[in-house]
Amino acid sequence: MKKILSLLTILAMLASCTPTPENVHQSNALPPIYPDYCDVTIPQNIAPLNFLLRADCEAIEVKAGDITINARGNEAVFDIDDWKALLQQSADKSIEVTVSALINGQWTAYKPFTWQVVSDKVDPYLTYRLIEPDYEIWNNVQIQQRCVENFDVNAIGHYEKLENRCMNCHTFANQNPQLSMMYVRGPGGGAILNKNGMLSKLNIPGSVYFGFSPTGRYITFSTQKIIPAFHSDPSKRLEVYDSESNVCVADMQEHRIFTSPLLSDSLKFETFPTFSPDGKYIYYCAADSVSLPRDIKQLQYSLVRIAFDEKTGTIGTQVDTLYHQRSVCHPRVSPDGKFILFTVADYGTFPIWHPEADLQMLNLQTGKIDTLGIVNSAKSDTYHSWSSNSRWFVFASKRDDGLYGKPYFCYIDKQGKAHKPFCLPQAHPLFYDNNLKSFNAPELGKGKVPFDVDDVAKAMKKESVNFK
Amino acid sequence: MKNLYYKYYPTAAIILSAIIIWCFFQFWYPYHFFFQEQNQIFLWSWDYITTYTDKSGGLARFVGDFLTQFYYYLFAGATILTVCLLIIACLLYKALINFKVSKPVALLLALFVMALAAICHFSTSYRLSGTISIMGWLILFWVVSIIRKKVLKLSALVCCLLPCYLLFGSPAIAKIQMPDFVIEKDFAVDCEYHFGHYDKVIQLVESQDRWTDQMVFFYNLAQAQRGQLPDHLLRFTPTQLGTFYQIGPETPMLIIRNMNELYWALGDMTFTERAAMMTNVFSHNNRNVRMMQRLAECNYVSGDSLAAEKYLRILDKTFVYARWADNVRQNGKTIYQQKMQMVNRHDTISITDNAHLLMMQLLDANPNNTIALDYILCSTLVLKDIASFKRDYDRYCIDTNNPRLKTLYQEALCIWLAGTNAPQQEWEKYIKRGDVFQRFQQYNLQRGNANFKDTYWYYFDKIKAPEI
Repeated sequence: MKKILSLLTILAMLASCTPTPENVHQSNALPPIYPDYCDVTIPQNIAPLNFLLRADCEAIEVKAGDITINARGNEAVFDIDDWKALLQQSADKSIEVTVSALINGQWTAYKPFTWQVVSDKVDPYLTYRLIEPDYEIWNNVQIQQRCVENFDVNAIGHYEKLENRCMNCHTFANQNPQLSMMYVRGPGGGAILNKNGMLSKLNIPGSVYFGFSPTGRYITFSTQKIIPAFHSDPSKRLEVYDSESNVCVADMQEHRIFTSPLLSDSLKFETFPTFSPDGKYIYYCAADSVSLPRDIKQLQYSLVRIAFDEKTGTIGTQVDTLYHQRSVCHPRVSPDGKFILFTVADYGTFPIWHPEADLQMLNLQTGKIDTLGIVNSAKSDTYHSWSSNSRWFVFASKRDDGLYGKPYFCYIDKQGKAHKPFCLPQAHPLFYDNNLKSFNAPELGKGKVPFDVDDVAKAMKKESVNFK
Repeated sequence: MKNLYYKYYPTAAIILSAIIIWCFFQFWYPYHFFFQEQNQIFLWSWDYITTYTDKSGGLARFVGDFLTQFYYYLFAGATILTVCLLIIACLLYKALINFKVSKPVALLLALFVMALAAICHFSTSYRLSGTISIMGWLILFWVVSIIRKKVLKLSALVCCLLPCYLLFGSPAIAKIQMPDFVIEKDFAVDCEYHFGHYDKVIQLVESQDRWTDQMVFFYNLAQAQRGQLPDHLLRFTPTQLGTFYQIGPETPMLIIRNMNELYWALGDMTFTERAAMMTNVFSHNNRNVRMMQRLAECNYVSGDSLAAEKYLRILDKTFVYARWADNVRQNGKTIYQQKMQMVNRHDTISITDNAHLLMMQLLDANPNNTIALDYILCSTLVLKDIASFKRDYDRYCIDTNNPRLKTLYQEALCIWLAGTNAPQQEWEKYIKRGDVFQRFQQYNLQRGNANFKDTYWYYFDKIKAPEI
């Protein structure tokens, strides 16, 4: 008992020894915090924005609303209960945050910043693939689902259970966790379809990028021959292009595949198809074919759409071009049908390594393009997914180091204005510094998927359902 | 005296065994330790340390990886391992004595386990955590042995089984094998090359009766660093330049790592980074300290300071390399000045990692890149592709007015000139070495004579070129 008391006394003394600000020097600069959470807009249901100060400091004090953190070192980690209470009482208000740091024996108070808390919630689950940024060779790939309201993570695809296979392209229908699909590649692999937790393995030949129709009866997918190529200029690194690509539709009820000459034109590359939320259109990207890899810089994809009738399963006869100023990838329509968000790059179809790759948003009612200046960075910003309420989207950004993609969340207010995005918070502020995997293809979902890794492993052993 | 002998002979036997083990690993097997150290990374960061709790055996892996990082230092590997084995032997011996096992039997068993654990370390894939795990279970065994009451003994055992499993996992024994002195030599040349001890690499390889591809690869690389690759290319046949490899999913990690060294020496930062990332993919926990250094330096050389900083920050959290990281930050410009001048800023795209193409790109950008020049010329000569050799020699030596008058190249040019019945002025244009010309005339009188074993003509006539 004596020993326990001594230990508690020592711990109490240590805690009380945490320095607190005195003789504070005021700085006009914003604190160099990482991730950059200065003046960001956050949803009411987000996990604590733990951060660190990029400075060699002995102690830190952070004041955010009623919360005060005094800690040794440079990390600010919030108690999750205090954080929840703070956000609860700050809905549709802003929280002022002040950061002070003890550096070389001198306390400095940085310029305060704000967190604008909005009551529009972001979908609580984020699904992503963790993979080395090179993508060519993988080992220990996982598809994880993270609850963004806290720090809970569970794997839905795990290398240990799936013979270290490549897994990719996990997508939900309308952000609904009860209807989703992911691919497990390699011999005996296939598309694992989740329907209310019942998993089946589908053999949809050549399918790469896909999206569900609103009812879930159809998926539209692209088939492509993907070629990796290398830039001799080290700053450009990897390029990937399709030597051929087409768009098709699969009827998930009748297990048949169909297309249209307009979606599989041999003189064009068609890719990244997605249904509009009302199911009346398939949006996709199309480019005139060029000689590759020689003329890669002339490879320009336009944003186009073609009508689709979900009742009869028929594809329209006319292709409308919506945007052709730069090369377009990954179009995604907001669930309310007002906006279409897409990536633009100087050329090609693989914006992940294009530092100039940015997100743009087309207002489908006014035809106005928003270049999303507040959202984009000097590095690649791409692969986005909408929240079911159309107020939030998540995207993968390489803004921090140019190499490793991280999920960033961006708020679109009722006026359609984008706010400064913020990075997915982590329990340990050092997580991203130590992490050597990219958060690839982040997808938002309204809930936790009703299956786990073992279910996927079992489904992999099933006979495939073949498509005609 | 007899009593003293009886009292201390077990201790003496265990200590003597420990000394033998230490001597063996220190003097005959030291490079295995360095290889293991180079193929992992341990970060002194709470975020990283908590990852050890993901699976059972976390404490064993934590302690094992923590200690392995110090294998970098001379004598540390053998000493750490010996101390661990010594503890194992003592714990087992003491526990057996407590269980009333006779001294000789206890000693024999202790020595047997000690030897078995030492033998496990002959394998490069056996990690120190395996030995720590054995140690952990023996601690439990010893604790149980010192409890006198049987009921308490049993209770302690039952209570401690699960915690012990969680902390130390299942003790792993490697497949029993003899020490592999060939791999040890491979690791030796790799290690000495890494430290820039080119003379030692050369001396190590030249002193061998038998040589492996790995040894010859580093021998050539060391000679190339000294500008003497063509002078020694034919010293070992079949020779190994590494330029005929192409990295794919089936390529062994060691080859990818070697390719990384080759690309770095040639000055191709795109492929240096790619090979480094791929080596990481196949390393313990998908990361290794040598590639972390390489990624930092190749990004520094490319001018991508954000990416370089990512890796330097990781190295900051190591005990061994933090100073190295700091040095790169402060003196990188001086350290990498030469490499930075060689960076290829001309952007072209290729779909292959064919080294010949890469070297052409490097030489087109920087004709003064002597290492690339020697490698491209020597690669074609190894293949006996005289036409390509002549084309490249013209392009990078004649057209740039920078003739490289190495004996090897002069000899190869003689073959081309003689084979094409070149006129006198052509001979005068290319053959600047009278001694080579005279010897060529002599060789033509006695083609294939072993007296000319040191010449390219003999190689051309008598030695089989590698199949690629």
